[in-house]
Amino acid sequence: MTCKEFQRVLPELEGGHNLEQEQHLKTCSACADLFSDLNAIEQNARRLEDHEPSPRVWTNIEAALRQEGLIRQPQPQLVPTRLPAPRWRFAWLVPIAAGLVFGAGLLVMHWQVSTQIAHQTRTTTPPVENAGITQPSSVPASEDQVIKLVATRAPSMRASYESNFRAVEAYIHDAELAARNNPNDEISQQHLTNAYEQRAMVYEMAMHRALP
Amino acid sequence: MYRRNRIAGLIIAMLLLASVVAAAENRKEFRFRVHRHASISVINQFGPISVKPSSGHEVLITAILHSDKAEIDSSHSGSRVSVSTHLLAGADPDSGLVEYEVSVPADASVSLRSATGPIRAEKLHGDVILEGNTANMDVRDLSDGHVHIKTLDGPVTLTNVSDGHVEITSVGGEVNLISVTGPLVHVNSNSGRIVYVGDFGGGGEYSLMTHTGDIEATAPAYASMDVLASSSQGKVINDFPLQPVHTSLVERAGSAFAGTMGKAASSVKLLSFSGKIHLKKR
Amino acid sequence: MTGARKLQGDKLPEAEAIERAKQGDAEAFEALYHLHKRRVYSLCLRMTANTASAEEFTQEAFLQLFRKIGTFRGESAFSTWLHRMAVNVVLMQLRKKGLPVVPLEETMETDEETHKKEPGADDVRLAGSIDRLQLEHAIADLPPGYRTVFLLHDVEGYEHNEIAKIVGCSIGNSKSQLHKARMRLRGLLKSSRAVKATKP
Repeated sequence: MTCKEFQRVLPELEGGHNLEQEQHLKTCSACADLFSDLNAIEQNARRLEDHEPSPRVWTNIEAALRQEGLIRQPQPQLVPTRLPAPRWRFAWLVPIAAGLVFGAGLLVMHWQVSTQIAHQTRTTTPPVENAGITQPSSVPASEDQVIKLVATRAPSMRASYESNFRAVEAYIHDAELAARNNPNDEISQQHLTNAYEQRAMVYEMAMHRALP
Repeated sequence: MYRRNRIAGLIIAMLLLASVVAAAENRKEFRFRVHRHASISVINQFGPISVKPSSGHEVLITAILHSDKAEIDSSHSGSRVSVSTHLLAGADPDSGLVEYEVSVPADASVSLRSATGPIRAEKLHGDVILEGNTANMDVRDLSDGHVHIKTLDGPVTLTNVSDGHVEITSVGGEVNLISVTGPLVHVNSNSGRIVYVGDFGGGGEYSLMTHTGDIEATAPAYASMDVLASSSQGKVINDFPLQPVHTSLVERAGSAFAGTMGKAASSVKLLSFSGKIHLKKR
Repeated sequence: MTGARKLQGDKLPEAEAIERAKQGDAEAFEALYHLHKRRVYSLCLRMTANTASAEEFTQEAFLQLFRKIGTFRGESAFSTWLHRMAVNVVLMQLRKKGLPVVPLEETMETDEETHKKEPGADDVRLAGSIDRLQLEHAIADLPPGYRTVFLLHDVEGYEHNEIAKIVGCSIGNSKSQLHKARMRLRGLLKSSRAVKATKP
């Protein structure tokens, strides 16, 4: 076996080498060095140490989880000795708590939206179907506020957004009910996740994008 | 003679009309030189956007404005190109209408947003991101890139899309998937109906979920899949002779079924809250 | 959360953390993050060779994981599931951002070109003397296509059939690119050592 032949099959030698290849390694120091070096690189690569991310990574993740309502308030613990063993769990409170956390977040931003709407209703120029100005990314206090904003920015889209919000809220309602009745059901949880995702999409398209 | 004069008159009238129309339109063209894997973004509130592949490393954007109530803003940095319609005071869906035709290198990633559309993309290999309100979205002959679509009420049709992730979120828009395969195909719809015609191939994860919309999936007899279908309040119909699998899902007649076909290469989930689900055999 | 229930984020057992995270428990999310952050971040850092991008992709990988944690059925190891998701996120985000994830075909060189660049028989062996920091730097200097396959195989331990599926190439191509990556690293490490040897 020549060096060229040996090096041609090198990529395939992961699982070991045959007698001919082994013989070549014994007789050719160049190929033996090459083979040894490549193995050393592989061995050392496996032992590379992991790096620590900055603490801000978790801070950002946690903030996003809260904003998306994925972090919910913990449930009160039952006291089994005082009550009969519960046949159902409080896990159904989780999606309701998610809604409360989300609503609290919206209420915190309420004054920004009120200011925004007051400013827009004072303008005397005819409503522009989105002048291409991206609104600041403040979270509205409620869907009514969002719809009012849409009405001032793009009147022709108001009915559409009203309908879409109704549809996603109905989905959330049904999914929360199902999750409450079947707290361990993964399908119910998936429906709930999807419903929240749809609501986030409608909010995003109404508030954060240049689209009407 | 009279007939000849009449025809000539018609031709002149048509030419005059065309010139009037042309005058009313304002055509703008933008050319950008880009490198491999360019990123192109087009934001257009009202009007169509159509994207096709071009040869070479150039992005060509042709915009037809229908009034002076709209302007085109563009920016180009390296291989990033961004074009958006800027509506002026008094613009509405008619006067603010702009039509875009875009040619990009096939490996470019494109991001297209239009409230009214339609939006069309074809024969691309980069990632495709579409967003619209009522825009009709038509995507065809894509491979290797990821496809992300968000729509409120616009219908979405994907035809011959493969080898990338497909993620679609729709509230009321119907979603049609024809010959769509890949490692991940995920549709999240509210009332929009989902129609899938294909073989659920590629050993991927297919998840078609709705709140109230119906789900209709048609696959060939040779499809290799691990299926889970459930509708909490709707009817569920299965045409396949599935091999049963152990699952925690309670198989109630008419509302759920689970099983495998062939080697169960792909995972297929058809889940609805109250829509009807029908797994049809082609 | 009362004091009696409060746990150090990194001492919560994984299985319990997963179940609690499905219910939206903040401590559970944090526990899972701390359990897996180093591996995910290291993968992102090596694939991008950029700290800011690595942090951003790490965030996105965990966020996607936490959004989908409700669908985790325990049929595979959680770390496997998370890691695979992180790889997919990084590759997708790299494409979206226009950062170079060059298709493997483009980094193909002929065998002659690859071997021509490498030192000949008179060079000293690397075995037993590879500096880990130099190896990290050398990995960062690899072309993106080589780097992706090398990281997935030699650092993260994926098999070629898995890499082929993740990246979208053939198994043969994956093996070929891995070999070329190692050959390139060999050259880089030897050059680095040669430079070091000349310094006073």
